[in-house]
Formats: sequence, structure tokens, C-alpha cells
Amino acid sequence: MDEQTTVINRSRQPLTVTLREFELTDVDDYFVWASDDRVSPWWRWDTFTNKEDVLTFMEETVLPHPWMRAICLDGRPVGAISVTRRTAEHQCRAELGYVIASQYWGRGITTEAVKLVLGTIFGDMEGLERLEALVLVQNVGSQKVLEKAGFTKEGILKKYLIHKGKISDMVMYSFIPSEN
Amino acid sequence: MNDDLRTLVSYIIYCYSHNHRPNQFIIYQLSEMNHDEKHQKPKTPTITLRKFTLSDVDAFMSWAADPRVTRFQRRDPYSDPADALAYITTHILPHPWYRAICIDNTPVGSISVKPAPGEDRHRASIGYRLAYDYWGKGIATEALKLTIKAAFEELDHLERLEAIADVDNPASQRVLEKAGFKEEGILRKYVRLKGETRDMVMFSFLLSDAV
Repeated sequence: MDEQTTVINRSRQPLTVTLREFELTDVDDYFVWASDDRVSPWWRWDTFTNKEDVLTFMEETVLPHPWMRAICLDGRPVGAISVTRRTAEHQCRAELGYVIASQYWGRGITTEAVKLVLGTIFGDMEGLERLEALVLVQNVGSQKVLEKAGFTKEGILKKYLIHKGKISDMVMYSFIPSEN
Repeated sequence: MNDDLRTLVSYIIYCYSHNHRPNQFIIYQLSEMNHDEKHQKPKTPTITLRKFTLSDVDAFMSWAADPRVTRFQRRDPYSDPADALAYITTHILPHPWYRAICIDNTPVGSISVKPAPGEDRHRASIGYRLAYDYWGKGIATEALKLTIKAAFEELDHLERLEAIADVDNPASQRVLEKAGFKEEGILRKYVRLKGETRDMVMFSFLLSDAV
């Protein structure tokens, strides 16, 4: 089932944000943000330079992912959003991640995509009680997305993750359906 | 009556028997020493850390079989030493960093440092447990201080030590603070413990904080 909502773009015409599963035929759209030098500093991977590598990435990482969706604007993928559940005694929580093409930044699209996930993920994943997100302290744009979507900032975990070879401080956000 | 108090009394008797006015400064010094002696907290016993051996199983049971100690752990208390022996063999002996907290070489608890999975080798988490009779004596704090020093010396690339304590375990939170850990925040509904989802306080000790 496709989840959807409506956002207003700069020209005040309504656009529809929907989520759906990826297919390999989405490689051309995936390549748009995967090859974008403005995007790659903010996620784990380096800028992709050719479509074959993106195709391999989609086969090996995107399609087999337990919960990943294309963020679609008027039916066309402009980004990706994923929820990765933890294991064993940490099964009560899962980590949210997202990426969106730079030409769509600042228009509320990612916030809407996150809200769509919040509306569906706790029903999809039985026993899930916490959705968390770790954001680089310098990634103010992403922090605003989470705050607008209703996440709570819990603290800064210092020297927590290695990002692009550098040990980085991360801001921890979470959404608890029974509390938020 | 301790030495300082005895000295003080002798001094006063001497002064009055020889018609000297007692020197007020000397009176003050001696009375202060007596006061400190009476109000000093019992000293923490000397503790050492060493690796476990199979012959430590009985000492191990002194905390691992105690529900007061296992209250904030995932496991239930051990009832059979054979299970404890299996745990020492399969989990403790091969562990990258697991130590017995000892008084006079007898284990009264344990402390372990577990590097984060995958590529995050700069990060490791600490866990510790102490037999109930040894609570409230500063032993866990001392064990943590020794472990912090050893972990940063022995584990390559380590930059962050972290520990989580249940929000309902203020004793453990105080131990971590006294050992120099800094609270970073409360992680809500973070982990399942004995059928309940618990809020945990996250603490960290960074290499850059070490003196």
C-alpha cells in the first residue's frame, strides 16, 4: 500500500509525497542523488560516478534491505528512507535514515516522508517501541526535519561514530509513540 | 582515644600544671586532627583486577547467584555452579577484556570492556557487577578508575568508553559519575530487560577527558 500526503512547493502548487518499494528500474532516479556531491558529505557513501555501480548498490544493499522505501514526488523517486531494526534485547528500537536529492532540499518533503514512516512503521514492526535517528552535529537541516516531524532530542553522543574516516559527535533523536 | 586527642589532653594538662597559657594555634591544630579522624569515611579496601580462572567459580556465584545483583542484568540469577562454569568457559575466558575485581586476590565482582561491533573500534562499552556485601564502599568506583586507565592503554584506537545505567538504578549512576563519566542523556525505551522495555542513562568517558 502506498502512503501519501500533500506538500506545498515554492510555486504554491500542491505536490504529493508517497512512499513505495524500490525496483531496479529506479536506477536512473537513484543515480541523481547518489552522484550528487552536495549529498554525499552527509551520508556514508562516497559520490557514485557511474550507473553500473549504483545498480550493483541497489542489488546488494537497497533491494535486500528489510525496510527501505523510495520517497516519491508526484510518483517519481527523489530520495530514499529506511528503518533498520536492532537485534536481541535491543529489538524494541530501530534506526531511521534518509537521503533526498539536493534540488528538493528545504521544501518539507523529507519531513513529510518521515511523518509517513511514523504513521506506518509501528504497525509494520511488531514490538517496536522506539524509532531513533543519529545526526551529525553539523547537519542542522536534518535536525530540523526530525524536530518538525515530532522527534525529541535526547542528547549529544560524543565521538560516537566514524563518518568519512573522522570520529564524529552525533545528536540522538527518538520518537516514542506512547510519549511523543 | 587516638594519638592526637591524647596529645591534645596531655598538652592542656601540661600548660595548666605549669601555669602556661595554652597556645591557641596548637589547640586548634590538634582538635582539627581529632575531628578529621572521627569523621573520615572508612577507606576503600585495596582492589586489584586480574583475569578469571575456572577455580573462581565459587567466588563468581557470590554475585551471579544473587537476585539483588542480577536485578538490572538481562540474565536471571544462577542456581547451578555448572552453568556458571560454562559461562566462565564460553563467555568470560575468550572475552577481549574481562576482569575479576579482587580484594586480597579473591574476586568480589567483575568488570568488562566490550568494543563496539563493526568498524567502530574507537568505542567500547563497560559493564560491571559486584557482590552485594561489597556495595557502598567505593569498590566499583575504584574498579572503574583502574579499568578506564587500562582500557585506554591496552585497546588500540580507543577514544570513547560508554556505559548505560537503568533510570531506576541511581547507585550505578553515582558510581559512574564518581569515576569521571559524563551523563549525555536519557535514551527512552532503549533496551528490553526481563520482559520490560527500559529507559537508560547514557554516560561516556573520552580519551580526551583522561588526566
